[in-house]
Amino acid sequence: MNLVDMHQCDCEKITENEKMRYLDQAMEDYGYKESSLIQILHVAQNLYGFLPLSIQEHIAEAMALPLSRVSGVISFYTLFSTEPKGKYVIKICMGTACYVRGGKKIIDRIQKILGIKIGETTEDKKYSLELTRCIGACGLAPTIAINDKVFMQVNPDKIVDILESLN
Amino acid sequence: MIKTFEELNLVKFNRNKMLKRMDKIVNVCYGAGCISGDCQSIHQTFIEALATFGLSDKVKLNQTGCIGACDLGPSVYIQPDDVYYCRMTIEDVWRVVQEHLLDGKVVQNKCYFDQIEGAYYEHLKDIPFFNKQQKLVLKNCGVMDYNSLDAYIGNEGYHSLYNVVKERSQSQVIEEIMASGLRGRGGGGFPTGVKWGLCYGSVSDQKYMICNADEGDPGAFMDRCLLEGDPHAVIEGMAIGGYAIGATKGVVYIRAEYPLAVERLSAAIEQAREDGLLGRRIFNSNFDFDIEIRIGAGAFVCGEETALMNSIEGKRGEPSQKPPYPTDEGLFGQPTVINNVETLANVPMIILNGAKWFSSFGTEKSKGSKVFAIAGAIRNAGVIEVPMGTSLGDIIFDIGGGIKNNKKFKAAQTGGPSGGCLTAEALNTPVDFDSLKEKGTIMGSGGLIVMDEDNCMVDVARFFMEFVQEESCGKCVPCRLGTKRMLEILERITVGLGEAGDIEKLIDLGESIKKTALCGLGQTAPNPVLSTIKYFREEYEEHINEHRCRAGVCTSLFNSPCQNACPAGVNVPGYLALVSEGRVKDAYNLIRRENPFPGVCGRVCTHPCEEKCQRGMLDEALAIADVKRYIADKVYEMKEPFRSIQFPPNGKKVAIIGAGPSGLTCGYYLARTGYEVRIYEALNEAGGILRFGIPEYRLPKKMLKREIDVLKQSGVTVFLNTGIGKDIEFHEIREANDAVFIATGTQISNKIGIAGENLRGVYHGLDFLKDVNMGKAIRIGERVAVIGGGSTAVDAARTALRLGAKEVHIFYRRMKKDMPADHREIQEAIDEGIQLHTLITPIAILGDNEVARLKLIHLNQGSFDTSGRRRPREEFASDYTMEVDMVIPAVSQHGDLPFISKDEIEVTDWGTFVVDATSGMTKLEGVFAGGDVVRGPNTAIWAIADGKKTAVEIDKYLGGSGEINKGEEIDIPIAKDEDSPDEHIRFERRMLEPCQRNDNFKEVSQGYHKLNAMAEAMRCLRCDRR
Repeated sequence: MNLVDMHQCDCEKITENEKMRYLDQAMEDYGYKESSLIQILHVAQNLYGFLPLSIQEHIAEAMALPLSRVSGVISFYTLFSTEPKGKYVIKICMGTACYVRGGKKIIDRIQKILGIKIGETTEDKKYSLELTRCIGACGLAPTIAINDKVFMQVNPDKIVDILESLN
Repeated sequence: MIKTFEELNLVKFNRNKMLKRMDKIVNVCYGAGCISGDCQSIHQTFIEALATFGLSDKVKLNQTGCIGACDLGPSVYIQPDDVYYCRMTIEDVWRVVQEHLLDGKVVQNKCYFDQIEGAYYEHLKDIPFFNKQQKLVLKNCGVMDYNSLDAYIGNEGYHSLYNVVKERSQSQVIEEIMASGLRGRGGGGFPTGVKWGLCYGSVSDQKYMICNADEGDPGAFMDRCLLEGDPHAVIEGMAIGGYAIGATKGVVYIRAEYPLAVERLSAAIEQAREDGLLGRRIFNSNFDFDIEIRIGAGAFVCGEETALMNSIEGKRGEPSQKPPYPTDEGLFGQPTVINNVETLANVPMIILNGAKWFSSFGTEKSKGSKVFAIAGAIRNAGVIEVPMGTSLGDIIFDIGGGIKNNKKFKAAQTGGPSGGCLTAEALNTPVDFDSLKEKGTIMGSGGLIVMDEDNCMVDVARFFMEFVQEESCGKCVPCRLGTKRMLEILERITVGLGEAGDIEKLIDLGESIKKTALCGLGQTAPNPVLSTIKYFREEYEEHINEHRCRAGVCTSLFNSPCQNACPAGVNVPGYLALVSEGRVKDAYNLIRRENPFPGVCGRVCTHPCEEKCQRGMLDEALAIADVKRYIADKVYEMKEPFRSIQFPPNGKKVAIIGAGPSGLTCGYYLARTGYEVRIYEALNEAGGILRFGIPEYRLPKKMLKREIDVLKQSGVTVFLNTGIGKDIEFHEIREANDAVFIATGTQISNKIGIAGENLRGVYHGLDFLKDVNMGKAIRIGERVAVIGGGSTAVDAARTALRLGAKEVHIFYRRMKKDMPADHREIQEAIDEGIQLHTLITPIAILGDNEVARLKLIHLNQGSFDTSGRRRPREEFASDYTMEVDMVIPAVSQHGDLPFISKDEIEVTDWGTFVVDATSGMTKLEGVFAGGDVVRGPNTAIWAIADGKKTAVEIDKYLGGSGEINKGEEIDIPIAKDEDSPDEHIRFERRMLEPCQRNDNFKEVSQGYHKLNAMAEAMRCLRCDRR
């Protein structure tokens, strides 16, 4: 199971059973090794969109680890989420270059347009808003990423257009 | 399979043979930036177009790594022609194939356009961004298929690995790396050879070679460029390292935010494995080596080596105590070397070309080159590579192209959240490990963020501390709690709740955390704060003591960036909103609350507000000054008398010396507040520089007089033709008044200091303008040379032209963009036929009794001075002589006062008065000073601001509350909510054509038509809305 391929997978198209099978297969491929926990959590999150307690328990059991171990790793790394996300996850880059080129204004504007704060998801589950660490596109700051697509040289006044272009 | 030298060589040979058969190589950049610009479509179109024109067999298309110029993509680089095309579209591809590849004609308007030179550069070797770099480790990026193993081998790839594995012992490899002087490129700068030697010396049957590709520093994107552009270089470097230390397993730890790097490196590893270059018995030797990729999960601290290893082990990424060092006990308890991506990518070429070759680049203790990611307020952002020891100024100005939008350089941040800042003083510093350490920062991994006057250094420090606080793993108290406390203090300061002692607390906390934190994250977290306090302490103090953010970033401290930038604090969005609603009289009164000279400032102000106008980021900054002028003109046409509230007389008397903008403003506010004010002016008219230093075509005397008359309605009495020390003694004034304000300005022209400056026909700038404004008859030469680049120089030149000169030349010692004069005025002068010569300075004025010739010399740019500009240097043997019959030096002025002795009042080395920073009072009790006499030659608006501030201080000094009478409050329209403002550049004012104005003094700018003024005012984004 190639971890990279997982990024392109559309989670809505496969059934719950299939998801569970993928996850179990992944754990087997990694040999249930404790050192592969982070890679396995990536697989699980790509399948389910987040890591609810039930999945944490399932992984802990399959890998013969205490639940607290699994939970402790999840809570440490920012990319792992125990809350479900919206259809479009908007990540605003808060790296230095983006910040220095007006990143703050973009946050203010998006929060206003969507009516949610950073870390929240809209009522209709369409948009989630996050801050992300530097995406490494500093030359074209400020940037935002929506799911896997990176938008560069973003202007606060063009945000509405960007959101509309997603549909 | 590639297991022998012959097989390796055959691949190389075949590859190069194939390339030689091609007429052209078209390199399509597939760097991350270009991908988001849809380079895939460009690539596809090339395939199609080449097939259509039957060129598919003769032209090689490469998909390359990032060539480094982020802003210019999608880009295409054609070899062997060395032609570089920017910002390609699908249509452009067809043109390039037809016109260039088929017909041999370069498509010039797709080449790089240099804004400063105003010309296209067709060839890469001519573009300063590229030709000042030295691509060593990045040599394949931009000119080689990133996804082809054959291409890599064709460029000597894996030859080093062969050489190492077949012909050298482990010790020999280590020695070579040591001799090269290679130091870690991840930030630590630890000698790589030494690290490898230590691990080699550890005994174990399993060792690990780890590549740290976590690259978490915000602002760093060099490693991704290498991984995405030349992944095999990293693989080969790791394999060589693995051989040297005795490791059979390599792990590349890549941050999860780099899926593209993961994808490309994975593919390269697969390719290497398939051909036996990774795996068992490499090149049929006893050396086994394979590489695994581990992905991070969003933790900056995992870039720290012990945290990184914990993360690979599937645990929380918390750092561990050192010792034990990884080379003794590392991953899974085994001896491990952790190297940065760039460090490893250097290894193959060191083996190939030798340690001596590598150490020929760089400085004594920092060998080789360094990749930097330059970003922020810089014109050319991107990934660059320079030899160690290149100066910071060269990087920022020559390669980076200087600061975007011609703003002023403020600081450069190196080393990300672990580093410090470098100011203009450090521009000549060679960039290497030790020099940067001396300056209080670190090299870091290579992120270089450039900041300008629009960045608030306190906010920058807060930003870094916020980052570090969030990324702190929480394991040790100094970092977990210490950074939290530091962040709280910084947050308070940026919202206006700073307290006395905060700066000292930050320093104290910072130094404690540095000494006691467990890992590098905590130990370096205070650096940005300590560094900004060291170099920008005044900004911290301004935030705390004056609640002021000079950069206009900390929004709790100001109304709008424009108002914040105005020295007098005029409510700009307020008056623009009033104009847009047709309430011109209210707009006028709103301005006058802070500035009694709207008509004057609307014409001659340097408008610092416009530099901060946020609209400038969208289309064009508001014409704030032009609208101000419109308001004044409209109101002065009205016949109704001016009514305003006057405070009752309080019996106190104030004397003001000098009826210039500063003195008049001070008198205006004091008189309205109830003081009896007498202003003494030595000349025969009021106005100071406004009346005598600015020409009629810029500021008509009638308008100035009108404005001064309105001002006098406040009750000030102006005594003209009254010089202190001549017509009345200074001590008399002091005795007769409760307070005195000296606002005499700078009236004496500076001399350039060259031979012949006292010949007849040499007329210093300010004296020249003054005499013209006084109506004296002046003999104008036929060929006039003006020396200087400020307003006085441009005014003198345009005045000389109007008085009948046939030719007028301006000579300035720096470049046009450096000229202090208003750039609209410079253009107006050029339109009128005045000739501007830059990078030239006079060395002598020649003639018998009268000016006959001027000797000049060309200049070029030398090293940087502390203002961030290059010092002009005379160019050897480039002097020449020119016939002129009048020379006007306009190189600034200074003040001097005969009526006060230097013992009584403290003056600086250049003759300006020393006053208390808060009250503006001199050493003499009750005697205040402000304007140019304190600041040196400066602008009208600063003089006006000083006048108003002094009125407040005098009121406080004489027992008042400091609340001066500014007039009635005006209610300002509330800002309406709009999500998308309609883009539109400025609405323009009416102007006289050059031919209509060359020989007269009619006002050149005719001001706004009412509808255009209102439309312009409506462009305001109302940044004051909350």
